[in-house]
Amino acid sequence: MAEEESAQKMEEFRSMAIEDDESEQISGSFICCVCLDLLYKPVILACGHISCFWCVHRSMSGVSETKCALCRQPYLHFPSICLLLHFLLLKMYPDSYRRREILTLEEEKKEGTFSPQFDALTWRSGDEEQQKLSHSSQSHMKCSDPNSSMDTGSFRNGEPHASKVQSEPIEGIDSYSPSSPKQDLKQERDIIVEEESAHPIGSDQSCKQITASDVLCAECKQLLFHPVALNCGHVYCESCIVYPADEKLTCQVCKSRHPGGLPKVCLELDHFLEQQFPEECALRRLTARPRLAISENGSQKSRNSGADNELRNSSRSIDTSATHFGVGCDYCGMYPIIGYRYQCQDCIEVIGFDLCGDCYNSRCKLPGRFNQQHRPEHKFRLKKPRYVQNYMLRLVTGQLDDGSTSLVFPNEGSEDGVLLTAPTSPSDVQEDAENGLSIDFVFEDEPDSEHQNNSQSNSN
Amino acid sequence: MSGIARGRLTEERKAWRKNHPHGFVAKPETLPDGTVNLMIWHCIIPGKAGTDWEGGFYPLTLHFSEDYPSKPPKCKFPQGFFHPNVYPSGTVCLSILNEDSGWRPAITVKQILVGIQDLLDQPNPADPAQTEGYHLFIQDVTEYKKRVRMQAKQYPSLI
Repeated sequence: MAEEESAQKMEEFRSMAIEDDESEQISGSFICCVCLDLLYKPVILACGHISCFWCVHRSMSGVSETKCALCRQPYLHFPSICLLLHFLLLKMYPDSYRRREILTLEEEKKEGTFSPQFDALTWRSGDEEQQKLSHSSQSHMKCSDPNSSMDTGSFRNGEPHASKVQSEPIEGIDSYSPSSPKQDLKQERDIIVEEESAHPIGSDQSCKQITASDVLCAECKQLLFHPVALNCGHVYCESCIVYPADEKLTCQVCKSRHPGGLPKVCLELDHFLEQQFPEECALRRLTARPRLAISENGSQKSRNSGADNELRNSSRSIDTSATHFGVGCDYCGMYPIIGYRYQCQDCIEVIGFDLCGDCYNSRCKLPGRFNQQHRPEHKFRLKKPRYVQNYMLRLVTGQLDDGSTSLVFPNEGSEDGVLLTAPTSPSDVQEDAENGLSIDFVFEDEPDSEHQNNSQSNSN
Repeated sequence: MSGIARGRLTEERKAWRKNHPHGFVAKPETLPDGTVNLMIWHCIIPGKAGTDWEGGFYPLTLHFSEDYPSKPPKCKFPQGFFHPNVYPSGTVCLSILNEDSGWRPAITVKQILVGIQDLLDQPNPADPAQTEGYHLFIQDVTEYKKRVRMQAKQYPSLI
């Protein structure tokens, strides 16, 4: 009932907020096709279609690949938020974007799981520095970095940063993190930035006029032309993507690997740029042509071995019985994780922190997907997939014969068996499970021993 | 996260109010106490002009689940509705309304209603959902057309 009430309150707030920002006419290019509202924390999929961070995450199945909401192209990786687009929208529609931020944060607090927070300053002062920071602090996962060693005790109490700026405690997570710890400045340098510091910057820029400097290619530093976004969220001109001989596309900015082939051009952004900067685009078309022609041969080949191939490859080379249903990799976004899964034993967030085998072994590290307070000195443990559940889930999904369906619980009461240590009421847990959050599914009729082990490891 | 279905439906309603195809009606259910239930929409689909369906204003109910828009709404005509692709219960059988084949979260209420209007006069014999409508459509076109025109008279305009 309390949920009902708060939902009603949200509804009121929502309609209030909608009236408030009626003045901002949002371009159709920047309406999310899932929530039909202004894009918030936009994510660009490999097929070039844009959606909000939460809209994408909530529509991902967690059992097998997910299909794009617009074109049904399957994808397995949850891309990182496109910061270029994020700050572009913040600049163009400050009121509407702020409204979405408030509403989203409300819901995130209810869930106890947060989307990444960004600092406009870090973005403006250049990506490289930030990347260097996160690279140096996170590149040595196994050996603890002496520079960032700290009192683990204070960190254990850490709660998601976004909540720290709010003085009131958060339902759902306050049960295990009652105090707001004083955190080392070093910690703050991670991706997570206090909400307050991000806002004034957005609202101070009262000028909604965007310039070419807001939409530059990460490689050539010119106005984006036929923009494509990689899995890490960095945007390039299609012609600037360097396709290496070993067929593994790597982002030149953050050095993270892009799964699959060359992504498709983000047409919405492309049209927007054509409208906004007709002359510059015409100029770019002239100058880009020779380079485009060269890359066309390469990209043709790579596009064929695109996202579809990625899936086929992954399912061919790796036994699908090694699928970790409902668990995603926090670096590359693979969801569900297929193959090895490394679970962080020290992250206390409900959503947990997991890596796929590739990301665990590779040196390039992206920030966690859900604002987790993951630190380099955290210990990982290799988790085996749950074979009994795998078998049952495959049976269920196999019967449905498309692999895209979301989880079907064989019996109503199964939510009672989910993750005993989750600090939420059973109904919330069920909701989380339905939303494919990183909660292990446990069926009632399963032997209790494994279950017990698991809840212990989760309470660590 | 909760609330995506309701948020989306709020936006759908706004978009519909701003602009919708002529002759169509779509509005969320209003409960006796005056509150609005966004999860059930009562709609009216006009039969296309120039077809046997013309003159009929067919009531359709959309049932949205909390998983919307990941999952499509269930679209129901009145029980016993005469059409080869409508189940005896009234549920419409259409590829874009099937989660496993054609449904995409980007499909809007407007597109659903226009899609169903098209389906009325263009049944899909490859996917029959009721015996009566299907057999007549296949075997006795004159009788089929008669039945369709009769049904159109059953659903006159309410305005």
